[in-house]
Order: sequence, then structure tokens, then C-alpha cells
Amino acid sequence: MKTTTLLSLTFATILALHANAKPLSYVGGTMAMQENDETGHTLSLDYTFTPTEAFGVYVKQERNGRDILMLTPQINTLLKRWNLPDGQGNIFNMSGAGLARYHDNNQPCLWTAFLADYESRRYFISYEPRFVWDGDIEKSVWQRARVGIAPYLANYNDLNTWLMFQIDHHPAKHDHFVATPLIRFFYKTYLLEVGYGSDNHIMVNWTVQF
Amino acid sequence: MRHKLLTLVILAGLSGSAFAETIHTTVNGMVCAFCATGIEKTFRKQPEVATVKVDLQTKLVSITTKPGKTLSDEKIKEVVTYSGYTMGKIVREK
Repeated sequence: MKTTTLLSLTFATILALHANAKPLSYVGGTMAMQENDETGHTLSLDYTFTPTEAFGVYVKQERNGRDILMLTPQINTLLKRWNLPDGQGNIFNMSGAGLARYHDNNQPCLWTAFLADYESRRYFISYEPRFVWDGDIEKSVWQRARVGIAPYLANYNDLNTWLMFQIDHHPAKHDHFVATPLIRFFYKTYLLEVGYGSDNHIMVNWTVQF
Repeated sequence: MRHKLLTLVILAGLSGSAFAETIHTTVNGMVCAFCATGIEKTFRKQPEVATVKVDLQTKLVSITTKPGKTLSDEKIKEVVTYSGYTMGKIVREK
């Protein structure tokens, strides 16, 4: 039981990173991300090898009544970036293909997601649709939107704080819509998010870039 | 007197070429600490660079070169673009 919990937390931590930070680092940089929310736990580890591409590993342990474990290599691609004097807009694609496991049933799986975001030092907005195909175990569509505001403008060496609001839509799940107010702390290359969803789940996400 | 003047001229020439240069450039799209880290680390990899300072408020990156070294505008643009951003105005001081 303890091992399962520990494993779940590890997976969750990894998964959390994905939806919270940009899926690309600087060239030669590595990023570890974990997400733990009502859908399960996700962990990813990505290495950025060109200004527009990162390659890594993605692990997801999905809950929601079905303990599905997914393990895939993944590629993250920056499709388009707008660098503005006071902001930045991006469109990313993240995709993976590998194996999904449900009880003793192993199936090939595929997933792809798009992330569109815009952020200035004060405001943040993002939208992410995600499509998952786990052979005959599960096929799902999931989408997430976020808005955020920084209550103060912090500099590079300061602690950055963001107040955010997230809406998840899972058509196949019991709670179709989950609203999660959250707080994001950002210090240099460390990011931590903590929120509480309308489905009474605690969300904890973190990202480390090195 | 003539020798002293000559020595001074030679010394001035030598020390001039050994000066470090500080270059300031604005960077469009640099809005968060992750962005700033990428730019800082990519500049630090350049053999000519001694120190890099980033100011998110002014979107300014300040690069100090090693003594006697410099970075061309083209090289700075290349590094900023390689980091995923676009370069604004460059100001140099010695």
C-alpha cells in the first residue's frame, strides 16, 4: 500500500509538470514535471535538443475508477511563437506513443495534445485539448483552460506569485467540469502549484528545470 | 619626454584592446523566469562572455565580455534567436 502510494505520488508529481509550464526548455536543458489532480498522476522528463523540440518520457497513472498506467516516449514541438515587447504567445504540440496497462491487459497507446498560451508579466491564459487512445482500454478527450493574474510584478531573482483559475472538461468522466482555483509560485527554475478542485480533490503540481 | 609619450600611447593602445565590453540588449518575449534562465544560460555558454544579468522588468539582458573579447550584433542576435526570442535594440559601453 505504501509502495503504491509512493509510486502514485511520484507519477503524480511528474504528470503535474505537463499542464503547468511550457513543454520546452532552453537547448541543452532538462525539465521534470509532475501533476497530481482528480484524473490521476503524471510525470514527464524532457530534454530540449533544438529551439523548437524536446524529447522525453511520459508516465501517467490514471484513476477515476480505472487504474490505467501509460508509459510513452514523447516529443514536444513548438509550432509557433509570437515574441512581443510585453508578452509571449505560443502553440505547442505534445505527442507520445507507447503502452497502456489496465489490470493485466497491455495495449498500444497514442496521445496528442495542443497547448496554446499567452502570457505577459501580469496576465496568463491557456487552452489545452488532449486526445488519448489506449487500444481497447479507453479512448478519451480532455480539455483544460486557465486564466491567471500576477498580484505583483516580480523580477528574475524574486518569488513570482500567480493567482489562477482552471477549468477541466472530461466528457467521459463523472465530473464533466472541474473548476480549480490555484496559486502558483515561481522562483527561477522552480515552479509549484497548489489548488483545490470543485470535485474536492487537491491539485499539486511542480516543475523543475535544470 | 618623447619616450614617456610613446610609452603612454602604447599602454593606452594595449589597455584599450584588453577592456571588457558591456552590451545591453532588449529581448522581446522574455516575460518569465524560465525564459530568462534560458537566455542567461545560452549566453553563458559563449566563450567570449564573462557575466550575464537579466532584468525582467525592463526586458534587458546585460552581457559583459571577457577582457579583450567582444560579441558582434549578429552573434547576439543568433544567441537570442537560438534561445527562442527576438532581439530589440543593442547598446554598447566600454
